[in-house]
Amino acid sequence: MDAAVALTPEAADQAAGQAPLLEVRDFSLRRGKAVVLDGVSLALQPGETLGLIGESGAGKSTLAMALIGLLRAPEVQLEGSLRFRGTELTSLKEAEFRRLRGNKIGLIFQDATAALNPCFTVGEQIAEPLKRHLGLSKWDRRERAAALMQSVGIPEPRLRLDAYPHELSGGMQQRVMIAIALACNPELLLADEPTSALDVTIQAQIMELILDRVRELNSSAIFVLHDLALGAQVCDRIAVMYAGQIVEEGPSERVLAAPLHPYTRGLKSCVVELGSRTLVPIPGQVPPLDAMPAGCRFAPRCPKAQAVCGERRPLPETRDGRQVACWFID
Amino acid sequence: MFQAVSAKLAQTLLVLLIVSAASFTFLKLAPGDPVSIMLGSDYSKASYDQLTHELGLDQPVLFQYGKWLADFVRGDWGTSYITNQDIFELAVLQALPVTLTLAAFSLLIALLIGIPTGVLAALYRNSWVDVLATTLAIGGNAFPSFYLGIILIWVFGVDLGWFPALGFVAPWEDFWEGLWYLTLPAVTLGAWYVGLIARITRSSLLEVLGQPYIAAARARGEPGWRVVWVHGMRNVLMPLVTVIGLQLGGMLRGAVMTEVVFALPGLGMMVTTAVLNREYIVVQAGIMLTGLLFVAVNLAVDQTYQFLDPRLRRR
Repeated sequence: MDAAVALTPEAADQAAGQAPLLEVRDFSLRRGKAVVLDGVSLALQPGETLGLIGESGAGKSTLAMALIGLLRAPEVQLEGSLRFRGTELTSLKEAEFRRLRGNKIGLIFQDATAALNPCFTVGEQIAEPLKRHLGLSKWDRRERAAALMQSVGIPEPRLRLDAYPHELSGGMQQRVMIAIALACNPELLLADEPTSALDVTIQAQIMELILDRVRELNSSAIFVLHDLALGAQVCDRIAVMYAGQIVEEGPSERVLAAPLHPYTRGLKSCVVELGSRTLVPIPGQVPPLDAMPAGCRFAPRCPKAQAVCGERRPLPETRDGRQVACWFID
Repeated sequence: MFQAVSAKLAQTLLVLLIVSAASFTFLKLAPGDPVSIMLGSDYSKASYDQLTHELGLDQPVLFQYGKWLADFVRGDWGTSYITNQDIFELAVLQALPVTLTLAAFSLLIALLIGIPTGVLAALYRNSWVDVLATTLAIGGNAFPSFYLGIILIWVFGVDLGWFPALGFVAPWEDFWEGLWYLTLPAVTLGAWYVGLIARITRSSLLEVLGQPYIAAARARGEPGWRVVWVHGMRNVLMPLVTVIGLQLGGMLRGAVMTEVVFALPGLGMMVTTAVLNREYIVVQAGIMLTGLLFVAVNLAVDQTYQFLDPRLRRR
């Protein structure tokens, strides 16, 4: 690189280390008047796993849907920037975005039973992205689909290729979903609560499988989860979302060991832990989208809230190697 | 599998038996005495008794029914008093193909117009496209088909002269000529179906497009047209076939009107003529044949379900 050229901040970042695979900057998503995502910023390095944690309605799934381009204008209004491999996604043409979907960006849905088309065999559905993005011949598609099914732990894949979704168990269906999402070796895998529709005994297996496959392909992954402890266990970093905003984001161990934001603390203490006899619920509920408080959105439920919290929104600050948005970080 | 099919067959046979009994009773209840009709105005008691005996009309009713049913199954449906024509030949070989062709062509036209209309209405719901499509659909449903037929004859048959106003040419003899003759009748009969098919397509597709598997297809990078026409419509076929199957009876009813308006020598025309001539034996054949058609359509729809929905297939 020519040292005489002044570096822009982005170029400096790139020179300093790897360019992030995904960079979300001040991203907002509105559905009419409702602000579903408000000023979300985060970055994901190649090979990194990130957990998006929060209650239902926090906007986690919405963010995932926006990242894969299933929520776009004119259905919703987008502001800010989503950069994937240096490409701005918000202004990408639909035809170009389609080339990323299922190819460079894969998505695992929460409920595989509902997300698999009942009228097509699982083999056909796994083969679709192989045809669309890789242009494989019919024979190669079948071979690769069988190999993919094998790789996600489906026994006798050749027999199951011609099975319809309803002929498989819930766990097997989710494995098929994973095979579809990983068919083209995506660089970014989005997993929207991939195990919450499954039996507890299967959940760990599926989570383990996704992680194994992601590591093997050296992909990055974003897990949408509502369980802070699970997220901290499986992800390198964690972003805690509340009412469409990221309130705390940082390395998993630190966030779980010493949460700084009152909401993260609340999330941690409302999970039953071994050896702990206390179960402290967070009082109240997430405010409706059309009646968000002007200041900190968590203020009405926050045990530490002061006058300023209701008036002005706290901006994320760097503290202890992470980003926290709160007026009273101690 | 075998058990289900045989149960279905038993059910079908029962329905047919009831239809045949009703149709036989109809003949018995019909006013007029066939013997005196056949003998004319002047006859002796001896010849009356003799003919009654020859026709088996002095036998117990149940016995007569059995004989009639056996004859019917063998294809011996009797002879028309008026034209002296064999009724099996008249009904099954001449009239039935005309009605079936008309119905099939009408259904084809209705599908070709109704499905795209319904899809457009669903994709652009609550826009002017939707309003227009829905208006046309309701209009097609509300407009009486005999009136539509007359208007079509008047405008396209007489005024513009684009299509023949009346008559029938068998498409299996001259395909294009036959199609040309059938166009106006098929549009008349199909118009009612366009609305029905469009409405069912619209509502079913709207429901299907909200399903997660549609989002999943998009998340795989499938283009929009494929998401709608392949992933979506494949799931719309089930409710569509159900409704079409249920309404095919209505189509046979509509065919009677259409055949009379356009002078098509189909089942409807045959039955109408027979009613006007008080030829009950022909009416009876019409009833039986219509009953058979209904049952056949129902069986076909049932079989189509298994073909369309993998969840209903038995392995």
